[in-house]
Amino acid sequence: MRAILATGALLSLVPLWLGDSRFLMGLAIGGLVFAAYAVAFNVIFGETKQLFLCVGALAGVGGYLSANFADRAGWPLPASVVAAALIATGLGGLFSWVAVRRSLDVIFTGIVTLAFSLSYANLLLGQRTFTGGENGLAVASGSETAIRGHASAYYLFLAVLLTYLAVYRLLQRSHVGWAFRSLRDDEQAAELAGVNVSRYRIQAGLIGSAMLGLAGALLAHHEGFITPSTYAFGHVDVRVLVMLAFGGIGTLLGPVLGAAVFTITDELLVGVGQLREVAYGLLVIVLFLFFRRGAIPALTSRLRRLRA
Amino acid sequence: MTAVVLDGIVLGLQFGLLGVGLTLVYGLGGVLNLAHGQLAVVAAIAAALALGAGVPAGVAALGGVLMAGLVGLILDASLMRSVYRQPTEGRVLLGLLLTLGVSFVIAGFLVWQFPIEALSLNIGGGAVELLGVRMRRGSLLASAIALVAGGALLAFFRLSTLGRAVRSVIQDEEGAKLVGINPASIRTFIFVLSAILAGLVAITRSMTSPVPVTAGIDLTILALVVTVVGGLGSVPGAFVAGILLGIVNTVSSFYIGQYITSIVLLAAAALTIVLRPSGLLGQRP
Repeated sequence: MRAILATGALLSLVPLWLGDSRFLMGLAIGGLVFAAYAVAFNVIFGETKQLFLCVGALAGVGGYLSANFADRAGWPLPASVVAAALIATGLGGLFSWVAVRRSLDVIFTGIVTLAFSLSYANLLLGQRTFTGGENGLAVASGSETAIRGHASAYYLFLAVLLTYLAVYRLLQRSHVGWAFRSLRDDEQAAELAGVNVSRYRIQAGLIGSAMLGLAGALLAHHEGFITPSTYAFGHVDVRVLVMLAFGGIGTLLGPVLGAAVFTITDELLVGVGQLREVAYGLLVIVLFLFFRRGAIPALTSRLRRLRA
Repeated sequence: MTAVVLDGIVLGLQFGLLGVGLTLVYGLGGVLNLAHGQLAVVAAIAAALALGAGVPAGVAALGGVLMAGLVGLILDASLMRSVYRQPTEGRVLLGLLLTLGVSFVIAGFLVWQFPIEALSLNIGGGAVELLGVRMRRGSLLASAIALVAGGALLAFFRLSTLGRAVRSVIQDEEGAKLVGINPASIRTFIFVLSAILAGLVAITRSMTSPVPVTAGIDLTILALVVTVVGGLGSVPGAFVAGILLGIVNTVSSFYIGQYITSIVLLAAAALTIVLRPSGLLGQRP
């Protein structure tokens, strides 16, 4: 918990430093949203090895539904956000349940969720009335509130991220977390020891998907304009994978470090255009070939060696 | 209706050829090659560039296919070896992530260098009557090539010594080693063969519709769907699933619309995994 408080203190200074540059604050908020996605993915994949290739899609379920609930149905903003996040939770829980019931391995879970991601992207393009198709959807609700400001939105998303980190840490510390880790190391042994492996998998799926749906819904109201690419597989999932690979899968602060480094590098590489994609590809290859444990584990083991 | 179904079969044969390459590599080493479609695009762009330089179409097509094979060989030697060194569990995931990275590198590089390049091979001559439907010569030639390639593959796996060696590694790697087969060189051979098949798909597809430089991801996803429905690791399954999905694709996009069709294909893959994970013709592991 100390690590989370320290991270929070450090990150809360960012607006003071960036001042009121609209552009830089936008980048910083984007970084927070991606860090939140990465923590959610970490809960699902890092803890229970369920390869959910639908991070962007679940966030998009939250975003598009919340926008429609608020703008079309006229629900109050908080109710829309919560309802949309709950539906994303239900969907993610359903995937987890199916994967557990049919005992799908990593690759099959990956394909099923990828199929969902791509179908959802097609649905967004097809259902123009509700989504505006590729032209995007203007989100009116939230425009008069703090969620559209720079600093206020920054602190809102920071609070969301810190809450996610705290939930993740609590999960790890609880008996649920011990079960998570025991099943990650040896599933059969965990089951023999009386750990309900399936239940924990589904719980992780539910919690992670709730995080994704909520972050996606808040993002829609913050941005005020969303397109299918806001939540596209190529835009969200791939980046989250790179961030986690860099920061370290299954670590508390890995997602935050990964998102911070990635957001800055991404902006620096804006000038090189298509070569950026080449750079990400190479980064993924190098990271997974040589630094499979990520930056945070490498750093902590070095720190430990220094202290000894 | 006959015309739509025939078009579906033409498309389905290409789907099958696309899926076979992916399914072979998976069956042999547990790696789902997410760069499969990009290998096809490598062939398409190489052939298109050769055509642009005035090389005759047949030679350009052959050059493109060989180019895909060469890239496959390089990938196998550089990355796949270290993937195969992993124990089975880590291998699946590492294979997925590394080939995703490769897919980005190839796509990024090609789009950067040749942003508007596309391959379309124009097979001249008039239409041909088949079952009362006028078919383009390009469609017929593409289907003939796919059929010959598919038949050759089946014969190769049933009749030749090398083909039997491949099947023995798929069935039991340890046993294959005991009778003197080197799984590593068999895997290299199959990875290159799969790349060549991907290249061939780019050539045959370009006879009916252009293959742009950005087609890679769509081709990979199609290959994935075909492979899953046919059964991961099954060669005949890939062709059966390919033809079936090809017909579904044209019928659905003719009567309903394109975006629903994509969803139907993806749903077919997801449902196959949930209801019958071994696919149409795959064996239960």
